[in-house]
Amino acid sequence: MSDIKMSRNSIKVMPGALVCEESKLRGDITIGKDCIVHPMATIIAEAAPIIIGENCLIEEQASIIYRVPFDKVEDKDNIPPLKIGSFNVFEVGCVVEAASIGNNNVFEAKCFVGNKVTVTNGCTIGAGCHLTEEQELKENIIIYGSNCQMREGLSKPMPQYSQMDTLMKILPNYHHIRKPSVKGK
Amino acid sequence: MSAGIIDIDYVKYACTCGLLKTLQQLYFCRYCSELRCSFCVSHEVDSHFCGKCCENLPSPEARVKKNRCVNCFICPSCHHELSTRIASKQPATPEEAKATKRTYYLSCLCCRWSSRDIGLPDQTSATGSWPKRKTFMQDKEFFKRKQKEKIISYTDKTGITAASLRKRIGLPEDKPILKLKNAVKMVTPSIAQEDIDDFDEEVLTKSINLLEITSIDQRLLQPDVQPVEMNMIFPVQKMLSIKRSLRCRSCEHNVSKPEYNPNSIKFKIQLFAFYHIPEIRIVTVQPLRAGVPAELLIKFTNPTQHQTTISFLPFDTPIEIKESTAEVGGSKGEDDTSDLDKSLPLMKVIPSGAKVMALVDSHLNMSRSSARMVTPRPLDVSINCDVEIPSSTFILPPRDDAAEYDDFNEAHNIQDDKKLVIWRKSNKAFIKLIVTPKEDTSIGTVITAGFTMSHLYTNTITSVAENKKPQKFNHNIKLILDLGKSVGSE
Repeated sequence: MSDIKMSRNSIKVMPGALVCEESKLRGDITIGKDCIVHPMATIIAEAAPIIIGENCLIEEQASIIYRVPFDKVEDKDNIPPLKIGSFNVFEVGCVVEAASIGNNNVFEAKCFVGNKVTVTNGCTIGAGCHLTEEQELKENIIIYGSNCQMREGLSKPMPQYSQMDTLMKILPNYHHIRKPSVKGK
Repeated sequence: MSAGIIDIDYVKYACTCGLLKTLQQLYFCRYCSELRCSFCVSHEVDSHFCGKCCENLPSPEARVKKNRCVNCFICPSCHHELSTRIASKQPATPEEAKATKRTYYLSCLCCRWSSRDIGLPDQTSATGSWPKRKTFMQDKEFFKRKQKEKIISYTDKTGITAASLRKRIGLPEDKPILKLKNAVKMVTPSIAQEDIDDFDEEVLTKSINLLEITSIDQRLLQPDVQPVEMNMIFPVQKMLSIKRSLRCRSCEHNVSKPEYNPNSIKFKIQLFAFYHIPEIRIVTVQPLRAGVPAELLIKFTNPTQHQTTISFLPFDTPIEIKESTAEVGGSKGEDDTSDLDKSLPLMKVIPSGAKVMALVDSHLNMSRSSARMVTPRPLDVSINCDVEIPSSTFILPPRDDAAEYDDFNEAHNIQDDKKLVIWRKSNKAFIKLIVTPKEDTSIGTVITAGFTMSHLYTNTITSVAENKKPQKFNHNIKLILDLGKSVGSE
């Protein structure tokens, strides 16, 4: 952690995104259009920049941490940025360190996704499920239950438009909001 | 029970039937003034209800519906309850929106399984119309065949079971006799066959997609079908839950009776031993060495509204039968008692016959004596520690809920044996006992101590009924304390 330039925060918030000031953002982070980042959510771009797509919901106490991928410890300077797709939901208290995240994924409350996991599209990681082993989750995979049982869903989870709309209206009433800035701070 | 916080199994109470239970697991029949556990009360089903929709069903109706709820389903994939969702299908034209009605499908919030996964069409009404899988049980021919084999049972019509009938006419208990019908059938030897089916090599070469195959749990949820593939699973109707009441077998009074309403978690009658018998907790014990006396501090708490006096008796004090409960009919098996070890400390008989006959027996007026008495089992415990039984007794004041908030009400005029009572506050007292593990115990063995507690019990039942003063008598209970492992050096 020492050799990574953590001190220089470069937060880019696209217009239309709602990022609360009480959220912890470290490193080079780009937050896409219509995203919501709750207070006390943590995003740490430790190894390389994090780019978050559109319409993502990052709830409180959720943390997205991009550590140095396990297979690139030797080659620290050429780590590609972590691209998180659109319509992802990071629920309360989840810890996501995944190496790659596609679109329409749901990380339910208190789940843990380790840095050896590749998440594609439409996956649901159930509440409290811990994924640590090296694996690639195929499309529409659902992980649930205390034993992390796996099943294939019929379709990708539906985006929660109504909840996003409500949050967009309510959050600015009670929290300080980061101003959208396409340029770096 | 909140196991681990209240229900700690270091101190066990011997139930009247001879089982060792914690105080929280015991009931106390106020009419017999005896401890009862779940093993020695009769369990009765009060009502059937669905845990999801809280619908109450009378028991005949529940039986017709095979003890399952009509409207609620559980997920065949993860066993959680399915919720009914409204299909969010956007109509193409406004005319279509008026014409089409709402449709519903079932969805699981845990594993996100839905009735669409198996291609079940969406339903137009939320409840009642879900298609049922045709099983062999619904097969009419199967039923006809079964009905021919059916043996006519009079139990349903009369309410008398064969066992209760035998008891009533004074026959000895029906012992399971090996019927000839159940004798070993002759096994037909298998014959080697010439032509065998071709071996399907795909079994070895084709890789298995685990996502398409059901787990053992999923198969056993539908035992009649036992689906192998994920597309064969089907929503399962939710099993009904019951509310049960517990009845003392000797006096037929309820020790526990829930409220009828499924939404209510309260009880009409709840005679926990916890409300009547002093609670004992181990505070501390000195390191236990074989043959060396150690101090044991235990805390007594009086849960009742009456002052009580507690004295100690040796563990092997016999607990005698009280006259009221010894009112037993002639069915008390004399041959049963004779072959029991007379040296057993607990030589009391407890009722075990259920109350099945109470209704049909009313004209014979033998409902009370119909309870068959059996001797309690011997206590399944080996005591390897002597307890020095104090000769003095001590008093526990009644419970006062307000005392907890009152710091000044500490003055009590109780003359205590200072060697016995170390500390006291409101209805609690710390008692010091001297325990000595037996000489021959090796290091690391679990030390178990036991004694008989005699406490003055105030029975308010008779006073309410007959306007008498509350009855007071000494009630003896055997206690087993797990003091942990012995220590020492070789």
